[in-house]
Amino acid sequence: MATNPPLPLSVHFAVQRRVLGALLIRELLTRYGRHNIGFLWLFVEPMLFTLGVTALWTATKSAHGSDLPIVAFALTGYSSVLLWRNMPGRCVGALEGNLSLLYHRNVRALDIYAARIAIEFAGATVSFLVLGTVFILIGWLSPPEDVLTVAGGWLLTAWFGAGLAITLGALSHEYELVDKIWHPTSYLLFPLSGAAFLVSSLPPAARDVVLWIPMVHGVEIIREGFFGSHVKAMFDVGYAVTCALVLSVTALIAVRWAAKRVAPQ
Amino acid sequence: MIVAENIAKTYRTRTGPRRVLEDVSFTLSMGERLGVLGRNGAGKSTLIRLVGGAEQPTSGRVTSAMSVSWPLAFGGAFQPQLTGVDNVRFISRLYAQDPDANLAFVEDFAELGPYLREPVRSYSSGMRARLAFAISMIIEFDCFLIDEIAAVGDARFHERCNYELFDRRGDRAMMIISHDPGYLRDHCNRWAVLDAGRLTAFDDFDVAQDHFFELVSAGERHGAATAAQPFVRRLAAIDALCRVAHADAQFMALVREADRARDRHDWAVAEAGYAAALTLHPYERSYWAQLGHVLREQGLLARAEIAYRTACAYGEPVRALAPFIASVVQGGAAAHDAIAAPDGGPTRLQPPGYPDLALIAALCSGAERLGEGEALALLQGAQTIESVLAGQSAAAPSLPPAIAVVPRADAPLRAGWHDDLARLAGARPEAFAAALARGEAPLEALRSAGGLEGWAAIPDPVLPEECQA
Repeated sequence: MATNPPLPLSVHFAVQRRVLGALLIRELLTRYGRHNIGFLWLFVEPMLFTLGVTALWTATKSAHGSDLPIVAFALTGYSSVLLWRNMPGRCVGALEGNLSLLYHRNVRALDIYAARIAIEFAGATVSFLVLGTVFILIGWLSPPEDVLTVAGGWLLTAWFGAGLAITLGALSHEYELVDKIWHPTSYLLFPLSGAAFLVSSLPPAARDVVLWIPMVHGVEIIREGFFGSHVKAMFDVGYAVTCALVLSVTALIAVRWAAKRVAPQ
Repeated sequence: MIVAENIAKTYRTRTGPRRVLEDVSFTLSMGERLGVLGRNGAGKSTLIRLVGGAEQPTSGRVTSAMSVSWPLAFGGAFQPQLTGVDNVRFISRLYAQDPDANLAFVEDFAELGPYLREPVRSYSSGMRARLAFAISMIIEFDCFLIDEIAAVGDARFHERCNYELFDRRGDRAMMIISHDPGYLRDHCNRWAVLDAGRLTAFDDFDVAQDHFFELVSAGERHGAATAAQPFVRRLAAIDALCRVAHADAQFMALVREADRARDRHDWAVAEAGYAAALTLHPYERSYWAQLGHVLREQGLLARAEIAYRTACAYGEPVRALAPFIASVVQGGAAAHDAIAAPDGGPTRLQPPGYPDLALIAALCSGAERLGEGEALALLQGAQTIESVLAGQSAAAPSLPPAIAVVPRADAPLRAGWHDDLARLAGARPEAFAAALARGEAPLEALRSAGGLEGWAAIPDPVLPEECQA
């Protein structure tokens, strides 16, 4: 825009909203189509996952080192796993299949990631809310002691997941290895992420190690909000925020770097 | 206005970095239509992607104060799983337009009928192209990027595209890339040639075209070694050579020029144009028929018959050309079965065309030009290439560097005829050239290059010298 005065910020926001909106609908239609329940699968799929895991853990009476009901434990734990794990899962290789979108000037690589992250966030969040509400209504779960803390932990986990997703997505455009390594890594991180244990139930030596894993803090915050007085949640908000922040900056650099290298057909 | 300043683009490949564009600068304002000529792989598409912003230059920058389209008729911007309707809606949302009005336009323009509501992946390539073009027309860009639009759809759709683009939107800026100079001349008012990553601008089309042809012919000389394949079956060879001809911008420009002269009934100019084109590619059979028509119009009946019979010998439909041949044959109609046509068998058993006769004459007598009467007699005689060669009385001790392959007293000479001869005899061109360079007599050289295998008796090259002794 060498000759034109810069446009007001509101115009940029309007364009950005439009682009994200268009990408969201396109993404939903492409993924879920219009057959049977259509885009409702977005919420139903994570719900099925969470229900399945809840049922399994209940059936096997998994030890988790506390007197919390297993349903409550599974819902908080597995939902947050879905949150940070699905975002990178959808963003790895996302650019590859959507390169032609870059022919539209207003669409940038970051928008493609943002749309997918928004969809994953919506899916995991709605699934968490619906299942939580249902479980509370039928009495399997008591209402959270501090809703705001739950929301804070949830958003922190989402933030971390988004940063991770964009970083891995951008890197995967350049290095196929990222795709190959992410799957086993995410699988192995699942039991270590705090979904299946309370940090306070671990031996002290293990606690110190586990608390280096950023996702653990998010789950612990959510549990603090949900069960507060019943458990001894262990987390460090400062550490979790720092991790998310560093990852976000890395993500933005990585996207810029990858965008310079894209070559649409 | 679009300003490209010193843009360069390097791609990383397995064999190291490859520079596609180097220091390209230009400006494009409203109403300017810049046509970029370039050979295949010259970097035209890369340039258009950089201008369109789909890719970033390695260095330099592109600034634009206009809205710029995606490359027109580009089908890749669709999501193939989505229906045509969904794709139209997506684009409408992206550019803040009324989806229903756009849908109505696309429905009317692309003529996809119920297919518009089917996934794009079920479309034929023509339907895809129609949808792509229609969608490109719903957004009113200031600058349109056009990448080889000439190939889109049928003639009627093409006409509508041209109307929408060049008539209704003639005031916009455009950047058109093509390897078809004629298309760019008709639609652009500025031209540039892209070669080896560098862009050279021209204000005059003819200068740009000449520059482009120089590059093309330089490139062809460079790649000549791989051009001639030792075909045994003639029709396969002719089909391949026709494709080579159509890919040759210089050939296409010559025949387009000649077609235009023919359309305004300037028969002599048209004849000269077709003759020059056929000298470049003697086996492009459809233009032998055209040459016949313009000769007939001038009353040059013997040469017209040669041209028609050559066209038939190379596979043009006899039934279509028989009436014309009948009309030019002096002293009565030619019988249908007297017009020789190829049958897909080995080359030696196929009927000869004028270029083959000229090749054989040059091989056997060393003559640069073959007389009309002699050629016509051979063409009418229902001969095969083998029998024409066997009927020669001698072989020349050496070959002329260039010969005429078109029946015209001042026809230009064809320099690449040694390869033609090798192809005719089924010899390997490079081995033939090497044998000639070693000083072998032409016939011997053909044989040692693997040619003339299984051909009937041919004159012994030593004979004439013995006669002299």
